Amino acid sequence: MTLTVHVDEFACAAHGDCAIAAPGVFTIDDIAVVTGEGSDEAILAAARACPAGAITVTDASTGEPVYP
Amino acid sequence: MTQNGIVIAGGGLAAQRAAETLRRTGYDGSLRMIAAELELPYDRPPLSKDFLAGELDERMLRFRADDWYADNSIDVLLGDPAAALDTAERAVVLESGRHVPFGRLLIATGSAPRALPGSTGYENVHELRTLGDARRLRGALGAGSRLVVVGAGFIGLEVASTALRLGAEVTIVEAAPAPLASVLGTELGHWFARLHREEGIDVRLSARIARLHGTRTVKSVELDDGDRIACDTLVVGIGTTPATAWLAGSGLDEDGVRVDAAGATAVPGVYAAGDASRPFDPRQGVHVRTEHWEGAARQGAAAARAMLGHPVPPAPPPSFWSDQHGIRIQYLGHARGADRVAIDGDPPARDFTATFSRHGRPVGALLVGRPHALAEVRRRLAATPERTAV
Repeated sequence: MTLTVHVDEFACAAHGDCAIAAPGVFTIDDIAVVTGEGSDEAILAAARACPAGAITVTDASTGEPVYP
Repeated sequence: MTQNGIVIAGGGLAAQRAAETLRRTGYDGSLRMIAAELELPYDRPPLSKDFLAGELDERMLRFRADDWYADNSIDVLLGDPAAALDTAERAVVLESGRHVPFGRLLIATGSAPRALPGSTGYENVHELRTLGDARRLRGALGAGSRLVVVGAGFIGLEVASTALRLGAEVTIVEAAPAPLASVLGTELGHWFARLHREEGIDVRLSARIARLHGTRTVKSVELDDGDRIACDTLVVGIGTTPATAWLAGSGLDEDGVRVDAAGATAVPGVYAAGDASRPFDPRQGVHVRTEHWEGAARQGAAAARAMLGHPVPPAPPPSFWSDQHGIRIQYLGHARGADRVAIDGDPPARDFTATFSRHGRPVGALLVGRPHALAEVRRRLAATPERTAV
């Protein structure tokens, strides 16, 4: 499935855990920014790792929430 | 006054966020960081978790690549801590005697672990604050080693959890009747005690240390009930004090610098952020240290904005997180002063939300094993804002 990743810019505190879990997907600027693509597993691991709960993941084709 | 540029005393999270914000917000004058350690700024939370477990490479701890500082024209002075502040000369005096003049100054020197009385001089007594501390402790933890953790705060509980994963035999000694009781209350504190006991850790509560036995190393810890706990390594996690003693004689507080919501101190052009600061909390009407990662990150950025004359957004509710025995624990809001705690979920299954309320309004929440629920809880707390204390 193709996933769409969204970072809540108000919740994100740039902890950087997402960029460790999914280094090709997230880059840390003043907040985490989605700058690339990665496996579904890596993206979901990044979303779960976020201490601020700032990452949401949806199915790109259906728009259904995948995480949380 | 600005011709000497901006100096950041400190090399941790608040300092890093201030430096980044200054450059991002368009400040192109001189910028210096005074770091006490011989390390470029790095992230501390993994020191008690993945890094201690040997699962995270040291380079992954760094906030930025080494060349980021030169690329951003940031002069980082390593291994020469701030030793005094001369407000008349407007200079920070370093341990080496060097004077670093400033136009504007951010005090972000962090905090230092409290020492356990009677424990100094022993080779196997560890604190955990710096990367150096974590490297040393990592070498001491291993399969079959006997670890005693003094203090069941977040650092102590995380170190205990990591050490158990590495195969150590772990005992936690806590003076209070329950872990984290001062933050979360006794009932939830007991949940933490049960969690660690179920995993195989010996948790001693209301336990006071009578004496440490051993000459060069602590061989055993004697409690005041006479019980002795054999020990190869002892970790002390009994809180921190602000690393602000260097401000003695400057007129600024030596026990955490009082600042307003933007990080400004009583001295013009001098700001403070992170563990070294005590921001004014309008909710409680007093200055309080927060000691949380998110507070330091936000305060560092806020002080940078204030230095440049930009507005500072209001502080969100405090929040922190912890990982223990593979369980994500998250906290948001103000549990202290709550008059009711409601538990939703299954505490024995390590899957629940505790909602703290005051006068019927939700004011805080603890999430255990529910990282997916944090965004919803944050919305729920924001939707019912608490009145500010007068």
